[in-house]
Amino acid sequence: MSMAAEKNQLRDDVLNGFQLSQQLERIWRTPSGLLGALMSVDHKVVGRRYIVTAFVFLLLGGILAVLMRIQLAGPENTFLSADKYNQIFTMHGSTMMFLFAVPVMEAFAVYLVPLMVGTRNIAFPRLNAFSYWMFLFGGCFLWISFALNVGPDVGWFAYVPLSSLQYTPTKRPDVWAQMITFTEVAALAVAVEIIVTVFKQRAPGMTLDRIPLFVWAMLVTAFLVMFAMPSIMVASTSLILDRLVNTRFYDSSSGGHPLLWQHLFWFFGHPEVYIILIPGTGMVSAILATFARRPVVGYPVVILSLIATGFLSFGLWVHHMFVTGLPQLGAGLFTASSMLIAVPSGLQIFCWLATLWDGRPVYRTPLLFVLGFIVIFVLGGLSGVMVASVPIDTQVHDTYFVVAHFHYVLIGGAVFPLIGAVYYWFPKITGRMLSERLGRWNFWLAFIGFNIAFFPMHILGLIGMPRRVYTYTADMDWAHLNLLSSGGALIFALSFALLLINVVYSARKGTLAGDNPWNASTLEWATASPPPPQNFDRIPVVKHRDPLWADGESLPVVAGLSAERREVLLTSLAEAEPQVREASPEPSIWPLLAAIAMTIFFIGSIFTPWAVLWGTPPMAIALIGWFWPTGSKEDEA
Amino acid sequence: MTDTDGRSRLLYWAGVALGPLAWGVNLQGIYALAHFSCETTRTSGAIMSAALAIIALLGTAISARAVRRRAGAEWADAQGGGPSTFMAWLGVGSGVLFALVIANQLAASLMISPCLR
Repeated sequence: MSMAAEKNQLRDDVLNGFQLSQQLERIWRTPSGLLGALMSVDHKVVGRRYIVTAFVFLLLGGILAVLMRIQLAGPENTFLSADKYNQIFTMHGSTMMFLFAVPVMEAFAVYLVPLMVGTRNIAFPRLNAFSYWMFLFGGCFLWISFALNVGPDVGWFAYVPLSSLQYTPTKRPDVWAQMITFTEVAALAVAVEIIVTVFKQRAPGMTLDRIPLFVWAMLVTAFLVMFAMPSIMVASTSLILDRLVNTRFYDSSSGGHPLLWQHLFWFFGHPEVYIILIPGTGMVSAILATFARRPVVGYPVVILSLIATGFLSFGLWVHHMFVTGLPQLGAGLFTASSMLIAVPSGLQIFCWLATLWDGRPVYRTPLLFVLGFIVIFVLGGLSGVMVASVPIDTQVHDTYFVVAHFHYVLIGGAVFPLIGAVYYWFPKITGRMLSERLGRWNFWLAFIGFNIAFFPMHILGLIGMPRRVYTYTADMDWAHLNLLSSGGALIFALSFALLLINVVYSARKGTLAGDNPWNASTLEWATASPPPPQNFDRIPVVKHRDPLWADGESLPVVAGLSAERREVLLTSLAEAEPQVREASPEPSIWPLLAAIAMTIFFIGSIFTPWAVLWGTPPMAIALIGWFWPTGSKEDEA
Repeated sequence: MTDTDGRSRLLYWAGVALGPLAWGVNLQGIYALAHFSCETTRTSGAIMSAALAIIALLGTAISARAVRRRAGAEWADAQGGGPSTFMAWLGVGSGVLFALVIANQLAASLMISPCLR
């Protein structure tokens, strides 16, 4: 833009509050109509879609879990066939890990991080829209395949040689592998956006030591995604190549090795646990501070723990492979590093307990879920230390003890904080409060149901019940505990039904929330509920780690941003000093078209290698269209 | 930024930088030495890891000294706004963390024969 044009540009400092609000809303709003909805690049719109879609997959994965529990409720049950059971436990694991747990955490980040750091949109908003479409198409691909009886049946980790062409000559493992590619592309895109948003778009004054803990947690998670996901993409792509063009990465008779699959998978798979857990801890820190009415004790300790957990998570993967015949001494060293990671996790727990101890806790539903998290996650951590030990792991490997352990860690560590986060941020997203009464019922049913469902699995594992069996005989003496577990699972499922009822009812008839119903301290509560398209009429200046508690209603603001085009303020990495005013992309249909082109490419390539050839030009056209200069205001320097 | 500011900022970041650097060198060094350590001496990897663990801890010591000299109060200050000090505190922890990780690898080189493949 020329100097003269820039000088004449309408800035926010010459408009009064109402005029500015109207003007910014006009610039930033998503166009109306179906086409407008498909073009949206607003992080709140994309975030909401991401959250809703991920919860739909949770519902589907949960239904599968209930079906499995019905099947296992009694011995020699014929409710499900062995083949259907194989598909269902694979679909359950794959859906929960790849289509719910990781995406829902990233979805909350997509919605909340820009608000919490005080900017108007996420970095690379079109990439964000593209990411959502890829996630949606990948999830639909998996579930449509399942509906057509081509659902994967080789476990959520698809070990070779079971998943090789020789032992599974159907398209089922290909569907699994390509679904992975879809969701990993989506996850990597969001990770890039989060890192750039946090590093470059923070409100002035939000120095590194004033970043909210949830945002820190998502930053660490984004780096984990960046380093872990390429491993599984290499794994899934090489599996497809083995099956499609006989590359023999995993064929030991031709110089490949099946253990390579396990190394690649678990180098991703173990950090994956922390990709799910660390955002949960960020949610816990946010909720705890608000309801304990004081900042979280040991802010730097919590951050260092997040970073240490993230780093150490890459050094533990071999503990998933203790029974593969690796040298015992090497396995012993991985035991040591597996136990080492309990240290930073333990530090965080002590910081949270100290926060509660020193605060004035208000026991509303979000805090109840956080307390439930602490109890269940600590129990899961304890059984984790047990299975980190080679002798114990050798005994309980592939038994229900492990199923109990990882459900305690994943549901306790991620789902409980997540449901707490739904209760906590629902008022911000919809403008209405969830019912507190239904919330308390929701919590107690979830807490009791979860423990009845999963605690007996520890005992079932110890008395020898293996994982992934579709039935068992009456003389095994597993029937009573399985029946109890299935009863608990139904109670747990009921708690989610209650959550759904609460969300649907309250979204229409809930009490109006106001801007900051919890009297919380972070910036997302400084704007309206739900936030306007521009997030903030004026970008706040941060002078305190808890800006709303320190400055109350009178937050200082920045002036001088454009009121004529979409513009965000870029700031320096450590000190968050203003550096540049940067144009932010406008709505576009190209991310959707690029995602459609890539979907055709991905799905086609599991049927014929030629799809790589004829699938590329549409992708190239979509990308050229995406980046083609339009002469609009966003292209001006 | 004055020379003194630049130097003190460097000190604040020492722990953050030295720990990962030492670990990275150790990881690459172990792979580089693995081929030769069976032929010559099994202690070469151990000596290297021990030296690098000390370098990581040195980063911790430098960061701790910087924190102690300049910004003890900011540790307890909930207001924030001292990112250099904050990074120095992260440096203190990061040096210890990476020293522990290197020590874990050091334990391996002490226990596993480098000739064992």
